[in-house]
Amino acid sequence: MKVLAIILAGGRGERLYPLTRDRAKPAVPFGGIYRIIDFTLSNCINSGIRHIYALTQYKSISLHRHIQLGWSTLSAPLGEFVEVIPAQQRIDEQWYQGTADAIYQNMYTLQEERPDLLLILSGDHIYKMDYRKMIAFHVEKKADLTVATIRMDRSLSREFGVIEADGDWRIVGFQEKPEEPRTLPGDSQGILASMGVYVFNIEILVRRLIEDARSDSSHDFGKDIIPAMIQKDRVFAFDFREGDQGGTGYWRDVGTLDAYFEANMDLVSLTPQLNLYDPQWPILTYQPPYPPAKTVHAEEGRTGTVINSIISNGCIISGGSVKRSVFSPRVRVHSYVDIEDSILLDGVDVGRHAKIRRAIIDKEVHIPEGTKIGYGLEEDAKRFTVNPSGIVVVPKWIRL
Amino acid sequence: MNEKILVVEDEEGLRLFYEEELKSEGYDVITAKNGKEAIKQVEEGSPDLIILDIVMPVMDGMEALSRILRKDRKIPIILNSSYTGYRENFMSWAADAYVTKSTDLTELKNKIQELLKKKKVK
Repeated sequence: MKVLAIILAGGRGERLYPLTRDRAKPAVPFGGIYRIIDFTLSNCINSGIRHIYALTQYKSISLHRHIQLGWSTLSAPLGEFVEVIPAQQRIDEQWYQGTADAIYQNMYTLQEERPDLLLILSGDHIYKMDYRKMIAFHVEKKADLTVATIRMDRSLSREFGVIEADGDWRIVGFQEKPEEPRTLPGDSQGILASMGVYVFNIEILVRRLIEDARSDSSHDFGKDIIPAMIQKDRVFAFDFREGDQGGTGYWRDVGTLDAYFEANMDLVSLTPQLNLYDPQWPILTYQPPYPPAKTVHAEEGRTGTVINSIISNGCIISGGSVKRSVFSPRVRVHSYVDIEDSILLDGVDVGRHAKIRRAIIDKEVHIPEGTKIGYGLEEDAKRFTVNPSGIVVVPKWIRL
Repeated sequence: MNEKILVVEDEEGLRLFYEEELKSEGYDVITAKNGKEAIKQVEEGSPDLIILDIVMPVMDGMEALSRILRKDRKIPIILNSSYTGYRENFMSWAADAYVTKSTDLTELKNKIQELLKKKKVK
C-alpha cells in the first residue's frame, strides 16, 4: 500500500512571537539542536514512511535550509524523499485559504504520486508516534478517514477539535474549538481532541476536497472537511496511546511562549516526559560539525559549572554558572555569569557578570557585560518581549 | 433571457460547429481558443456554463479548470475531450461532467440541460 505523507508546515505561530518573527513555527529551534518539525519528520522515518512533502508558505527560508541540510539523506535512487513545496500559486495568486485548501492547491502533486493513502500531518507538534499503528487501524476499520486523537482536559476545549466517538471508535460528532464540549463517557473532565493527524483514502479525499473547494467554506479540515465526512463516510478516531512511542502520552503543541518554555524545561528535569535518548526512536536533525561542549576555569568564584542542563556542541562555559537551562550550539558564557532556567539559542554570547533567569535568548545575541535579564521585568519590558507569566524573550540579532 | 454558454475549443471547425448547434438549441454562445482566453471570457462575458476542451495551446483545459473555479466556485463546467484518459486525472474530477468528443452532440446537450437545471434549483 503506497502511503504519502504531507506535512502542513505553514504555521505562522503568532503566539510564539518574537521567535517566529523570522521563521515559520515548524522551524523554531527546540531542545538545543532540533527544530520543531524534526519530531514529525523523525516519526515518519521511524514509521517507515519515506515519501514526504512539507508544504510551506510564510517565512519559509529557514525551514527550507534546515530540511535541505538535514533531511537530504534519504535514498533518491530508491524513490525516497523529503521535499519542500513552497506555495506555488499554481492555480491561484492567493495564499492558501485553509488547511484543506493547501492540499487542494497541490492536487497536481497527488496526481503525480497517486498514493493509496495520504497521511496529513502538522509540522507544529512535538511527540513520538508510530504512524504504522494508525494506518493498520485505518485499514482494519475499512475507514475513509482516520483522525488521531488524544485525551485532553475539558478546560482546553477551545483550542481543539473535539471528537465524539462510539464504542467502536467510529466518529459520530465533531465540534471545532467548542466552549461547551462533549466530554468522554465516564470522564466528565476529559475530552477527545483531534491531533491534526489524518489518514485519508486518496480518492475519497480528492472528492471531498473538490466538493469543499466548490462550495462556500473556510476550506479547513477541522471546520469543514471532517464535519462533512462524518455525515456520509466512514470516519474513525485512533487512540494516540496505541501508537505513542514514548509511552508517556506526550504530545505538545508548543504554540505559546509558556508552552515552549515548559517543554524545554521538561527536557532538563530528572526524568523528562519526552525521552530523547531512545535508540529505538531516534530524533534526527541537522547538526553542523562543531567541537564538543566544554567547561573551563576552576578557581573559587570563577568555576565553569553546568547543572541540570542541556549543552549542545560548540558551547564553552568559561568561568560562569549555568543551571536548568537549554543551550543550542556555539553559546559562550564568560566569567562570573549566572544563568538559570533559560533557553539560549545558537551563537549567543554572554558577557562577564551578566545575570539571566527565565529568559529565551534568540540566535546571535551578544549580551554585554553586567547585563541583567529577568531580574526586573518592568525594565526588561522596555527592551524585550515579556509575557504575562514573566518569561523574557530577547529577539534575534538585537544590538544591546 | 437566453442562457449563455462559453465554448472553449482550439480547433476552429469544431468551435463553429458547437456554436451553430448550441445556438439552434436557443443558447447564446461565446467562444475562446484556449484556457487563457477562457479565463478572460469568464470575467468579461459571465457565461452560465462552460464547455472546456483539454488539449489546447497556451493554457490547457486542466489548468484553466482550476483557475476558473478559483474565480467562480459554482459555475458548471463540462470537460470535453477526445481522450478518455483524463477521466482518471484527479484534477478533472473538479468538473461537473466529462463528455468524450463526438459528432453526435446528444450527450453533451443533455448534460448542458441537466446542469443548467441543477444550477437554477440551487
